[in-house]
Amino acid sequence: ASIFSGTGADPAVSAKSNHCLDAAKACNLNENCKKLRSSYISICNREICNRRKCHKALRQFFDRVPSEYTYRMLFCSCQDPGCAERRRQTILPSCSYEDKDKPNCLDLRSVCRTDHLCRSRLADFHANCRASYQMLTRCPADNYQACLGSYAGMIGFDMTPNYVDSSLTGIVVSPWCSCRGSGNMEEECEKFLRDFTENPCLRNAIEAFGNGTDVNLSPKN
Amino acid sequence: RRRARARSGTRPCGLHELEVRVSELGLGYTSDETVLFRYCAGACEAAARVYDLGLRRLRQRRRVRRERVRAQPCCRPTAYEDEVSFLDVHSRYHTVHELSARECACV
Repeated sequence: ASIFSGTGADPAVSAKSNHCLDAAKACNLNENCKKLRSSYISICNREICNRRKCHKALRQFFDRVPSEYTYRMLFCSCQDPGCAERRRQTILPSCSYEDKDKPNCLDLRSVCRTDHLCRSRLADFHANCRASYQMLTRCPADNYQACLGSYAGMIGFDMTPNYVDSSLTGIVVSPWCSCRGSGNMEEECEKFLRDFTENPCLRNAIEAFGNGTDVNLSPKN
Repeated sequence: RRRARARSGTRPCGLHELEVRVSELGLGYTSDETVLFRYCAGACEAAARVYDLGLRRLRQRRRVRRERVRAQPCCRPTAYEDEVSFLDVHSRYHTVHELSARECACV
């Protein structure tokens, strides 16, 4: 072992290594991943964004490419802003995520629930990423993979979540909505939104994946 | 020199691959992403057609001399990769078509 072991990240390595860039490389070197990634990028990156087509291509990417590639791109850990920006850009948020105005989250949920797939993916997310304070990891059955899978499963639907910015401290993810204009449903709206923005299970799952510390806690699927 | 040429000629025309950073390609994209660059290389000596033999003879006899003629096949792509995409250092995505070879032949 090197004399630096146990002192945390080697500065020479952490300055240079960019896990999100490594994840893109791994994808580009795999024929299937490269093809489906290029496909959603070229569709979502068009001059005039066609969100319906962009979402469809994103769903195909996450459905047809093994999670060893897709999770790596989505949940890579970052030590510099360039890396975090790359991570935020994974789903081409200017087309797939952002919109002129932010709908109310409960209204967005209603829209999602009219689509049977969006409805069931959202239910999976609430079940698998439910903050469980009895568990060490804060996740149901300490199963990080199930939570990450349900998060990725919502990309390409009306409830598409993403990193809200490219800051390095404290990962915050959210769907594109707010709780303004909730009326007497304000409390329910905030509770719904916090499942994304302030969820210790989801946060731990993403961080553990990025650090590679999730391997012993849950079975690989 | 001749020997080196002859030795390299022992590998027939085929697809080769190289991991390259997009910036290395000199196409004007500033991206640290790595792509698999596939290219065609190798010998085509065995692939000479009757066409090539005939053309060579006519060239020797100076029946053909004005034009640039090629009396031997060349190892070139016969199909190209559809597209490959990457994010550049300015956080812009690019998609490039036909960057890599997909099939090679002596043509």
